[in-house]
Amino acid sequence: MVRRSVEVAVPVRTAYDQWSQLETFPRFLQVVHEVEVSRPTLTRWVVGYGPLRHEFLAEVLEQQPDEHLRWRSLGRRLRHRGDVHFRALGPARCEVTVAMQMDAPPLLGPAARLLAGRFVTTLLESFRAFIEGVGAAGLSWRGGIRDGRVEDVGGKAPDFPEWPHG
Amino acid sequence: MRKAPKHEPIAELEVTEPKEWAAGVPAVKKALEYSLSQTSPKRTALTLLTMNQVDGIDCPGCAWPDPKPGHRHKNEYCENGAKHINDEATSRRITADFFREHRVSELAERSDEWLNAQGRLTEPMVKRAGSDHYEPIAWNDAFALLADELNALDSPDEAAFYTSGRVSNEAAFLLQLFSRAFGTNNLPDCSNLCHESSGTALSETIGVGKGTVSLDDLHHSDLVFVVGQNPGTNHPRQLSALEECKRNGGRVIAINPLPEAGLKRFKNPQKARGVIGSGTVIADKLLQIRIGGDLMFFRGLNRLLLEAEDAAPGTVLDHDFIDSSSVGFEEFAEHVRTTEWEEVLAASGLSRAEIEDIRDEVLKADRIIVCWAMGLTQHPHAVPTIREIVNFLMLRGNLGKPGAGACPVRGHSNVQGDRTMGIWEKMPDSFLDALQAEFGFDPPREHGLDAVGAIRAMGEGGIKVFVGMAGNFVRATPDSAVTEAGLRQCRLTAHVSTKLNRSHAVCGEVALILPALGRTERDRQATGEQFVTVEDSMSEVHLTKGRLEPASPVLLSEVAILCRLARATLGDRMEIPWESFEGDYGRIRDRISRVVPGFEEFNARVVKPGGLPLVNPVNEGHFRTSVGKAIFTCNSGSIPDVPEGHLVLQTLRSHDQWNTIPYSNDDRYRGIHGDRRVVLVNAEDLAAQGLTAGDKVDVVSVWSDGERRAEAFTVVPYPTPRGCAAGYYPEMNVLVALGSVASGSNQPAFKSVIVRLERV
Repeated sequence: MVRRSVEVAVPVRTAYDQWSQLETFPRFLQVVHEVEVSRPTLTRWVVGYGPLRHEFLAEVLEQQPDEHLRWRSLGRRLRHRGDVHFRALGPARCEVTVAMQMDAPPLLGPAARLLAGRFVTTLLESFRAFIEGVGAAGLSWRGGIRDGRVEDVGGKAPDFPEWPHG
Repeated sequence: MRKAPKHEPIAELEVTEPKEWAAGVPAVKKALEYSLSQTSPKRTALTLLTMNQVDGIDCPGCAWPDPKPGHRHKNEYCENGAKHINDEATSRRITADFFREHRVSELAERSDEWLNAQGRLTEPMVKRAGSDHYEPIAWNDAFALLADELNALDSPDEAAFYTSGRVSNEAAFLLQLFSRAFGTNNLPDCSNLCHESSGTALSETIGVGKGTVSLDDLHHSDLVFVVGQNPGTNHPRQLSALEECKRNGGRVIAINPLPEAGLKRFKNPQKARGVIGSGTVIADKLLQIRIGGDLMFFRGLNRLLLEAEDAAPGTVLDHDFIDSSSVGFEEFAEHVRTTEWEEVLAASGLSRAEIEDIRDEVLKADRIIVCWAMGLTQHPHAVPTIREIVNFLMLRGNLGKPGAGACPVRGHSNVQGDRTMGIWEKMPDSFLDALQAEFGFDPPREHGLDAVGAIRAMGEGGIKVFVGMAGNFVRATPDSAVTEAGLRQCRLTAHVSTKLNRSHAVCGEVALILPALGRTERDRQATGEQFVTVEDSMSEVHLTKGRLEPASPVLLSEVAILCRLARATLGDRMEIPWESFEGDYGRIRDRISRVVPGFEEFNARVVKPGGLPLVNPVNEGHFRTSVGKAIFTCNSGSIPDVPEGHLVLQTLRSHDQWNTIPYSNDDRYRGIHGDRRVVLVNAEDLAAQGLTAGDKVDVVSVWSDGERRAEAFTVVPYPTPRGCAAGYYPEMNVLVALGSVASGSNQPAFKSVIVRLERV
């Protein structure tokens, strides 16, 4: 597990709101080419360097606004998991910490840790530069997720044809 | 291409060992053989290579979802989909000469296979009162005739408008609009026959009438139950999804009376391991349950889970989910703890060790999906069975999480979408209010008739005009003799169809055949070429666009037929722009956007690659039930009592069959060749009755109102549990009493038929 932190000169809510807009990751992280949010707990990612591409699904296991988000990748290749924590350092300053682990056979463990470390460092620095540069995050989903399930906070349910289907 | 057959195929039964695996190279060969027997290599290539592709033709064969854009094979179809699409794309044509040559009464003697094999219908036909022949009729005259009959009824409720699941969203929306503008909610549909029990149980317990999972969930589940379902024949592409699940480390448990080939092993013809290798084992455990024993199986399993929690508190049940998102747990738990093992074992035919083995599988799985089909829905106790499955899922919090959930697998390609569009005899006031606000008329509020209700009403003279929008009503429904008598009693029957079927031959005093464009054909209207939309079994709505030239220049689209019928019937009674709808289907979708929840900006969203996924409230943390939470329920029920010397018979499809239409007399996975008039029975049951393989029997069903008889079937010893039997649908429909329905959903109990075998 690698762990890195960065201080960001925006309020913790701004940092969280920006981060939780997962579809915007390609704007600040070159290695991420596409993110599609199927539902709050399930996202599809296309990442890669140069001509190489890797596509995977990621599940959000836990998410609490302005506090943390925990994920894991699904599928059998390049499996990884991690979490990100947000901590207020003042009204306009916060700390973002990412911990990430890549599953790898024992022999490739050091290489996986090195790769994860470089990725997390790049991720946090890119995120800091981006959110400080744009200054504000747009409207974001501020629901909670616990044990892989969206918490019912009593808000409006999505429009859906709810009558019985035969 | 081979010519249409003049004679019926000669039935000659040959029985071989049931197959141990499904698909592989033989599936490709069979698909191409059938396709090329119907049409040219060029048309075959055009249909197959555009099938299930983005902007291509949605396979009308089943409602299984497509992979995401970019993840589809060039050949994104299965054997049965290929056969079905080229069955529609056939180059054979039926003209007026055919009807001059064949009397209606003669057609009524023909087999389903022979009727279908004659080819595409090409012009509107009418059978006038007292005549035994169909003759050509101009479209305008046909609409006028039908409109006059409708307007002459004493009440709009003397008409019924049936919808088959092949009908597009746009046509379905217009059909319900027309029916309600005309003044009736009599909208029976094929949903009434296949998954009505699922919708009823799911709506009550989790607040949505549809499944909760996507293909991604299936690929990444830890454990998938396949219950009362035969994907190898009815949803072959599901095998690819189960294979992917297995390769990701998931496990599969199949629970089914018959050891179907597709449940055992799958040779994926798209992969080298499927072509030259041994394929993938699908079911890690295959439990051959007695017909109708699923409710007691799940009750037994749920009891074991409660006991496992007792033994190790806090490790088995998802208390967080139970406490925060559900109600009724205590009553449910108390009820399940009273479940008697003797009852479980007798109903399921399984051993306690087998069920405990499944419990152990469940305890190892964090994410579980239960898939099911008509093996569960077509029993008197189907609704409580599915509710018990919901209980099972909820115990360990398997709702609303990736890789977990409920998965009713639907058959017809748009059966789910048609219901979404309002094809239901009991639509809620919220929908009718929206319809009223959009179109400015007050839709009838009194509930209408479903399929069983419509048949009963026909027999009692309450339905005088029957309009079938696609499908083959007379063969899809139970109690064939009663249904046929009902249809013959109608003043007028009209069928919008692509091909000939028995519903054209067993008809009202006056009958119309209104030939429609198929899914495979280009649909050109005033504003240019049109597409239509469908919704798959996992609530993804996407477009489908035909690529072939129409079978005849005078064919009309289903949308056009409905618009013209509505104009002829309603005249200027309503300010509904039918002509505009016919010219531009986008205008229909604009209206759908404003009436059906979840379809906002439908036109803009549905053209995106992959289409428009409907957001399921369960996956967003919402249970829209009567109490705002998921509901645990207490469930009881069983198949009817089986008298001594009787069996429980399930009706089922052969592999070489699409819904009511057999393509041949073969069912190669089950080792049945050359004859469909067979009844599959456990060898020990046959011996107990003094019967041996090859004996001819009448199959006699018993019901409270009397007996029904299916004559001259050959018995075949088959590995089905003791006390169980199986026979092909629709030949066996004659045995299913109209009153034999699922409690709560009124769905015919095609799979709980109590029969005895009488040697001929």
